[in-house]
This record gives sequence, C-alpha cells and structure tokens, in this order.
Amino acid sequence: MLRIEHLSKTFPGQVALADVGLEVAPGEVHALVGQNGSGKSTLIKVLAGYHQPDVGAGQAWVDGEPLTLGDGQAAAAAGIRFVHQDLGLVGSISAVENIALTTGYMTGRGGRIRWREEVKRTREALAGMGLSDVDVKAPVSALPPSQRTAVAIARALVGWENGAKLLVLDEPTATLPGNDVQRLFEVIHRLKQRGVSILYVSHHLDEVFELADRVTVLRDGQRAATVPVGELNHIGLVELIVGHHIESTTATAATGGGEPVLIVKGLHGGTLKGVDFDICPGEIVGVAGITGSGREHVLPLIAGQIPRDGGDVTLAGRQIANYQPRHAIDSGVAFVPAERGVRGTIGTMNVRENLSISDLGRHFVRGRLRRRAEVAETKHWIQRLSIKTASTESAIGSLSGGNQQKVMFGKALRLSPKLLLLDEPTQGIDIGAKDQIHRLIDEAAAEGMATLVASTDTDELVRLCHRVIVLTDGRIRATLVGDHIATKRIEHTQLESSRRAS
Amino acid sequence: MIKRFAFDKFSALYLWALFMLYFGITKPHSFLTQTSFKLVVIENVFTGVLAIAFMVPLATGTYDLSVGALMSMSLVISAYLSKHHTMNPVLAMFVALGACGIAGFISGFFVVKLRVNSFIATLGMSQVITAFVLHTSSQSITSAFPQSYMDIGSKPIFGLPRFVYFMFILAIIVWFVFEHTPLGRYMFAVGGNPEAARLAGVRSDRMIWGSLVASGVIAGFAGTVYSWKIGNYATSIGPGYLFPAIAAVFFGASQLKGRANVWGAMIALYALAWGVKGLQLTFTSNTIWIEPLFQGVSLLAAVSLASRQGIIKVPRRKSPAPGLTDPEIVPAMAGDTGATVEIPDDQAGNAP
Repeated sequence: MLRIEHLSKTFPGQVALADVGLEVAPGEVHALVGQNGSGKSTLIKVLAGYHQPDVGAGQAWVDGEPLTLGDGQAAAAAGIRFVHQDLGLVGSISAVENIALTTGYMTGRGGRIRWREEVKRTREALAGMGLSDVDVKAPVSALPPSQRTAVAIARALVGWENGAKLLVLDEPTATLPGNDVQRLFEVIHRLKQRGVSILYVSHHLDEVFELADRVTVLRDGQRAATVPVGELNHIGLVELIVGHHIESTTATAATGGGEPVLIVKGLHGGTLKGVDFDICPGEIVGVAGITGSGREHVLPLIAGQIPRDGGDVTLAGRQIANYQPRHAIDSGVAFVPAERGVRGTIGTMNVRENLSISDLGRHFVRGRLRRRAEVAETKHWIQRLSIKTASTESAIGSLSGGNQQKVMFGKALRLSPKLLLLDEPTQGIDIGAKDQIHRLIDEAAAEGMATLVASTDTDELVRLCHRVIVLTDGRIRATLVGDHIATKRIEHTQLESSRRAS
Repeated sequence: MIKRFAFDKFSALYLWALFMLYFGITKPHSFLTQTSFKLVVIENVFTGVLAIAFMVPLATGTYDLSVGALMSMSLVISAYLSKHHTMNPVLAMFVALGACGIAGFISGFFVVKLRVNSFIATLGMSQVITAFVLHTSSQSITSAFPQSYMDIGSKPIFGLPRFVYFMFILAIIVWFVFEHTPLGRYMFAVGGNPEAARLAGVRSDRMIWGSLVASGVIAGFAGTVYSWKIGNYATSIGPGYLFPAIAAVFFGASQLKGRANVWGAMIALYALAWGVKGLQLTFTSNTIWIEPLFQGVSLLAAVSLASRQGIIKVPRRKSPAPGLTDPEIVPAMAGDTGATVEIPDDQAGNAP
C-alpha cells in the first residue's frame, strides 16, 4: 500500500530521520510509536508535505506508483488523508463549513451554496461515526473536544470514496475521554473492514495493542523495529521504544500525615456543583472523571484560571481569592495548567524567560534585573529537571513537548509552593519524559508539597496518587484510597452515573 | 556568532551605511554636511517620540493608533491655554500631558473592560480626539509660547537642541524598562500569551491599561517637543506622523532582537530618514512624494524579509481555542498563540 525507503531528514544541528523505512500493508492498522524526538512527527510531516526530505534521500510508493515525498498535493492526490493532533479545524466556523472548506461547497444555480445538502452531508458523515447529536451549525470552537475530533475525522473521511487509501491519525486520542476513545476505535475497525489502511500515531501503547496489526518503532530518528503486534507484550514494546531494559515503577511515597494544608469547601463553578476535600502536606491527590464531570474545572477554579460561583478555598489558613491567579500564587499555589501551548508557554519568549516569569522579583536587585543570576538559576533548573535544550536562550518552541512541560514544572517548583496543581501533567508526552515527570512529582511530594493532579490518564493517577477523587456530574462520586486505587475501578466509577449521557 | 550579524537582523544598519555611501558619493557637498546632519536628526524627533509611544502598548500586544491625534491634542491644549488663558506655559504643558494620559486611560477602559479590539478602540478614540482638537481650535494658533518656554526644549547643546537629548533619554528609559525590569518582561509576556501570563501571576489587564496611559503621555510629549521647536499649532499637525512612527516600529521590530525594541526602531527611523534626505537632495524640485514612498517600500521589504523567516507576526489579542489553528495541515508550534513578534531559533527541535 504505502512503502517508504531510505528517508532522511536533517534539521540544522539535528538529524531527525536517518534512512528510515516504513511499509503499510493494504487494509492494515499500522501503529507508529516512539518517544518525542524519535522522528515520528517529522516522518508524518514529510509525508504531509510540511517538511522536505533531504535531497535525494527517500523514495515512496503508493500501490506501486512512485510518490514525491514532501509534496502535500501529491500525497493528497495519491489518496493519503491526515488528521493531525491539533485537528486543523477553523474554530470560528461550523462543522458544515469546516468540511466544505476541504471538499468545496456544493453549489446550485448562480453559485448559490446548497446549504441543506451540505448540512445533510455533514450529519451523515458524523452519524456514520455514531454521533448524531452534534450541533453541525455551531462554531466548532463551541463543541466539546471529543466532538471536534469527530468533525476532523469526518472531514478527512468525506469524499473517501474518491480514492482515499491511507488515513493517517496523529495522536487522535490525546484529548479524548475514555468512552470517546472506544467510539473512535469502532470507527477505525469499521474503516479497516472496508479495506482502508490506517497509520496510527500514538503514545498510548494500550491503543496500539487494541488496534494495530503491526507496529513500527522509531528511536533517535531510526527504525528500531517493525513487528506484528501479536508477537509483542507491553514491556517488550516499551523496551523497543526506550532502547533498554526498564524496571516498572510504582508510587512508593508514604502518605503525608498531619493537618490538612488545603481545605476546599462547597466548590462551585464550571460544571462543579459543590465539592469538598482537603489535602495534607506531602500527599498526592488525584482527580478523575470523564470530560464534563467537572474534572477539568477543579484545578482552574482553585488557581483562579476560571471564576468560582461559590465555595471557599483555604491554603494554610489563608483564603485564596476568587479568580485572581496572582493572589493564589502569593498564597503559595503553583499551577501547571493543561494545554501547555495555550495557557502555559509564552511562544515569543525563550526558556529562561518562560521559567522566571513566575517570580522575577528575586532577580530584581537595586532597580535592575540581574541577568547573570537569572541565567544561573535557569541552568540550575535545566540540570535538576534534565531539560534538553541547546541553551537557556533557546526559543521555548524549539524544545520537544516533554521538555517544554519540564520548563513549566520548573516555573512552578521554583516558587517552592505549598500546593502544587497539575492539570493533565503529561498530556501528549512520551513515556521517557512522562516517567521523569512522575518522579519529579514524587520528589515534590516527598519535600512536603501538597499535590493535586487532574488527569484523563487513569494509569497516571494509579501510578502517582495516595488518594483519588472520582467526579461524576460535578460532584464527588467516590474517594479511593490505597489498594482501592486501580485503573479498572476508577474507570468503572467515573462511568457509573454518566451512562445515560453516552 | 556569525548569526548575530545576519543581514535580516541588521538590514537597517546595512541600509543606513549604503545610503551614507551612495549619497555621500553622489551628493558630497549637500548630503555630508553638518546642516543636513542636524536637519535629519531634528526633523525626526517627533516621529521618534511617537514611535516610542506606539511601541509601549505594542509590547503588550496592543495597538495604539491614537498617538498621532494625541500629539495634536497635547499641542492644542498647551497652545490654547497659554495663549487664551495666559496660563504659565510649563503648567499648560503638564495639563496637556495629563489630558493625554486620561485619553489613554479611556482607550484602556474600552480595551480592557469592554474587551474592544485595541485596533478598533484606539482608531475610534483618535477620531474623538481629533474632534476635540478641532472644536478647541479650528484655526492655527501662532506665537502661543514665550521664548523662555521654547528655550527649555530647544536651547542647543553641542549644536543640537535639547529635545534631541530628551528623546534619547526617553528611549533609554523605555529600553531600560523593557529589558532590565520585571515590568518590561511582564509586558512582553502579555504580548506573547496573555492567558499564560495571567496564570503566571501577571496582571495582564493592568499591563495593557497602563501601557495605553503611558503611550498617551509619551504621544503628548511629542506635541510638547513640537511646541518647543515650532511653537505654533495647526490642525494638520500630528496624524501625519502616525504612519512613519508605525513604520519605524515595525521595521525596527525586525531588527536586532526580533521583537519590538527601542534601538531597532531608532535605527530604522534614522536609516530611512537619511535615505529620504538623500533622495530629496537628488530630486530637488517636487520631493514631498519621496518620504511616503520610501517608508512604504522599506517597511514592506523589511517586514516581508522578517515574516518570511517567521520573525514577525501580526499581533492578535485572543488565543485560538485549543486544538484549532489554520485550516492547512500545518502542525502548530507549541506555544504559538497570540504572538506579537517572535524569534524562533531553528525549526529543528520543534517537537519532532
């Protein structure tokens, strides 16, 4: 179906891909995995025509026909379709219009757009994915993330009959709640039955085992292996990805004792309808729940990202004011928000500036920012968090996602907070960096910080937390402690009262 | 290190050198004289001050298109008060600067509280200000200021009037605030990603509001400089300086650091000024067209060069909704949200 050989891509100062090959068989779901920086994004970008391969390095064939790599139009003509992680939708216009943007509008006499048919086409495309309740006329940005993903996939699938042969899904489940992931899997299975080949890029190895026929592992820009999934187990795949034997790690830190440092009472706002809990120093508390349960609003409400409608948040005896991040920080809260690119990093600034923005006062001595002290502190954090960056002055965007997230951690940890709020701390981050970040969280807790982690990644909560709060419909459904914290149990609990919704 | 002297970051300096060389050879007796040197320096002080005024809110990602109108408002207030009310001209000057600060505050109210796009809010304000100016005096006000007042700003030091030095002091202050204080860092953080800055504890709204007040006062100061140099008010003064000032800021933003910066703007301003001067001396008859043509062409050229390399982006106030970017299949850069001007290093490690 698709065959790529000897593909190399060099960026200034970095070899992203070295002599990589890839074969996707007809009707196969082929997983592409690897850590951030392993070259899988680059490979997809070359295929999509966003990057050019090195001169003379790389040939490709689709069904035996040569394909020019680095040419987006040629790839499209050959029947390759992409759904990227960021979906590539235009937020201000509707699902109908987004789909028409790529396929062209159906027009009637005098160039009039045949809206009724456009709407029908969109509804059918979404219904084919099991989604019949999407508001196809609302701006896409107003839709929940899971529906946005569905629209993006529907867009790639519309006109499928007209020669699309390979669907490339790049991290499609990164922001999807569990039940939507299953729905996506059903769609993928259906497409596979129709004989469509799928190249599936993901960090979630469970998905690889559930979906894929074969998997190609990239490591440091080279192909480490292509193996049938049936011949691998989980640990075997992880070892192929990281390139060495690993020991599985689990949370060992003891639960902190003593008086609670954070007390939350009657927290209202967003989709929360009254939530009470507290955290002791040194304790890691997880927040679980499907999207819409209020999981995604707990931390933003405490940190002042979004306004509270009611409730008290007290940290070490001090009330944290509503909707005032500055006051929260001054009270001892450090917040690592979800969606790093939107709320975390400042793309115009370098690593040093991104790190030190959380507290510049310490380097402001006698009326002047002391650059040398700031650089020294930045170097300290780069070393302590093993951040991979060319220098303190590198643009934040030049770092891989995992390393950007570590900068965000440094930005929070340098405040020596009493309370560390981590919203989706490892979203879209490769296993290696994920493990490092988990260790950092353990260490922070061991130093006595109270830590609150909200995550859609249930395994992550199991790995990290001493206690997990499971939310459904804006309220605490269950609090799991100790041995009761298990992936199945959390996933089961968070779906308990939301069955009717799905 | 070689990259540090790359053409794109220093195009204005190279351009400047080119002009000096070319016109120095073709017009040695008129171009390379003390008189033209002085003329070029002095004539561009208004533009220079307005450029600084425009740059302050731009650092926070906010446009202030009312700076030209504010310049004329400052001038009409001080001229009117000292001529018709025989107010002490120095006091009149401070009243004028205060009024400009208030105008900036009102713009800030629209931008921050009512969430009006700054481009639109300040464009609207500039018209209201123009109306106020025309209402105050629709004719010119001549000989409004006593010589003693004008001497404050225009007495020469080393052959150049004091206000030239005032402009450089102002430039140094703004440069220092931008580069060496937390305030400046916060402003650029807001310009880069307002939501991330707010969550990091920066009071984004205050930064934007405050920067508009500051730009009002600085734009008012451009009017003060005019009152020192010329001493007369005419309705046409002010708005005409807006474009050259903006051109200098954007051309300058492509220079040196790759974001709005004071010395980049100053270099851009004077590089262009010398080019204009040279052309004026070359075409002696009708030369008014030279300046706008020249500024337009060089702005387009410099910013095209910078944009092509991803150095400059048009500022946007709102961050896009998560997961929503261009319709193209171009994976967005992480952190690529509401950027004013940004310097990517190499594209290399962009989460490949």
